[in-house]
Amino acid sequence: MNFNNTYSVPAWWQRIFSVWYRHERVYNSNFLSNAFPPFLEPLIMLWGLGIGFGAYIQTMGAINYLLFLASGIIMTSSMYTAAFECTYGTFIRLEFDKVYDGMLGAPLSTNDMIIGEVLFAGTKGALFSLAVLIVTWLFGIITYPWSLGAVVIGFICGIMFGTLSMWITSFTHNINHFNFYFTGILSPMFFFSGAVFPLENLPKSLQMLAQTIPLTHVVTLARAFCVPGHFKMQLLYNLLYCVIFILITGWLALQGIRKRMID
Amino acid sequence: MSNNAVSIKHLNKSYGKLKAVDDLNFTVQPAECFGLLGPNGAGKTTTMKILYGKSQPDATPTPYIDIFGHHPKQDALVIKSFSGIVPQQDNLDTELNVRDNLYIYSRFYGLSGSDALKRIAGLLDFMELSEKAQVKIRELSGGMQRRLTIARALINQPRLLILDEPTTGLDPQVRHLIWNKLRELKEQGVTVLLTTHYMEEAFQICDRIIIMDKGRKMLEGVPRELMKANLEAYVMEVYGADGHNYPGITLDQPGIRCETYQDTLFVYSDKQDRLVSFAESLSLSDYYIRQANLEDLFLKVTGRSLNELQ
Repeated sequence: MNFNNTYSVPAWWQRIFSVWYRHERVYNSNFLSNAFPPFLEPLIMLWGLGIGFGAYIQTMGAINYLLFLASGIIMTSSMYTAAFECTYGTFIRLEFDKVYDGMLGAPLSTNDMIIGEVLFAGTKGALFSLAVLIVTWLFGIITYPWSLGAVVIGFICGIMFGTLSMWITSFTHNINHFNFYFTGILSPMFFFSGAVFPLENLPKSLQMLAQTIPLTHVVTLARAFCVPGHFKMQLLYNLLYCVIFILITGWLALQGIRKRMID
Repeated sequence: MSNNAVSIKHLNKSYGKLKAVDDLNFTVQPAECFGLLGPNGAGKTTTMKILYGKSQPDATPTPYIDIFGHHPKQDALVIKSFSGIVPQQDNLDTELNVRDNLYIYSRFYGLSGSDALKRIAGLLDFMELSEKAQVKIRELSGGMQRRLTIARALINQPRLLILDEPTTGLDPQVRHLIWNKLRELKEQGVTVLLTTHYMEEAFQICDRIIIMDKGRKMLEGVPRELMKANLEAYVMEVYGADGHNYPGITLDQPGIRCETYQDTLFVYSDKQDRLVSFAESLSLSDYYIRQANLEDLFLKVTGRSLNELQ
């Protein structure tokens, strides 16, 4: 071995990519068990809600109910996968397996690790969105050619819930406490984001509340890509919300995790 | 920039009221093996963590830290790029197999794929793990995991190797293997900084050591010289005694030094016959005379009773 070589720190994007690559390798090494659920989930949802409700409700507002529902669960699917990755997944790597401690022995900063992981959550979000889209394409529910764009929104959604979940994880010291996050925060979001029923007929106060939660904005964006005639300038406002949300929760996550890892 | 590999001055670290490191000073020469010894809670691990930026020292008084010309506050990544770090607790990636652990880690240093594969083959061979390349981490024994952790720390061909208790909990075979490997690395010019509480380990591989207790440096020097300067050559252990069992006989005699711990009496002397005659004068039967070792020095310096962190 030659121990007199020159040393250099990889560029920031190489470091972040190497972290992303670690997650990708782990994910793909369990490819079979990881590849089915994203396809199965939307099938169950569309069957369960679509066939059950769909028998009574043909249209939701002006949209076919199955189309309405499908364009909603493209986002909830992304939300849940990113949230699982950056709560239970992150917590196990942080506290049980000590994978992060191991990575900190290499020329990586805590920021590199968090950003790499959040980008992976975004990637998973995009993949899960794509899986839902493929199912809905096959069943002829979504036919709009722009719908492929919803994958990008799935990525944004994954990043949003990645940073939010990572921040939650940074101050969670008992893995069971994530139950509060999932049932107390994500489940209400699932229902009051306009993913499964429209918000227009809700009481004014609930409508206001719905506008504050992140899922509402990505659902609005995704639906514009899946349902013809929904593109309008207002979508820029939804996008702006996403950017600001990511910046704030991302900053909190960076601070929180760094504080937890560097003593 | 000095010619030292590592130099530390006025290093302090407190956790609330607990002073983990208390005004620590030491220097390590290039290609030297330097050992930090001390009981649990002496501040060894904290010191190691500070060196690679995992822990931050107290801001006042301002510590002087120089690791090949770099300070961990500004240059933690630079320091880690030329260092190999073996933490106290193995933290291998349990979701990857042996080879992928090294491969993924090589990416963190920006190594190219073909370079990495060549180094990985070499390192698996060096640490005698070639046959385990495809094995999952959980299926490895403790000794194999330790060797893999060391192999991982060598993937960037470091000039500085930081090892926190590299052989704790391992069987003698693996311990000797690791010692041999560390000697080989040292001969190749790698600076080795390690912590241990095995006195034999320090004796076997360390050129110089410091003994720490409660965050402070108690002794510093070459192991053999430290023993000569601070400890008698022989020690007699007398069991079943508590020091009060010998009325009329004073333990305070010229040429010997006595110490009691629970029911064992330790009698130190530079002359073996002095100990024999002492034993005969007390008509002792259950005793054992041996050469004093580093462990005796360690216990002399850090005390025999347990502290609250042990």
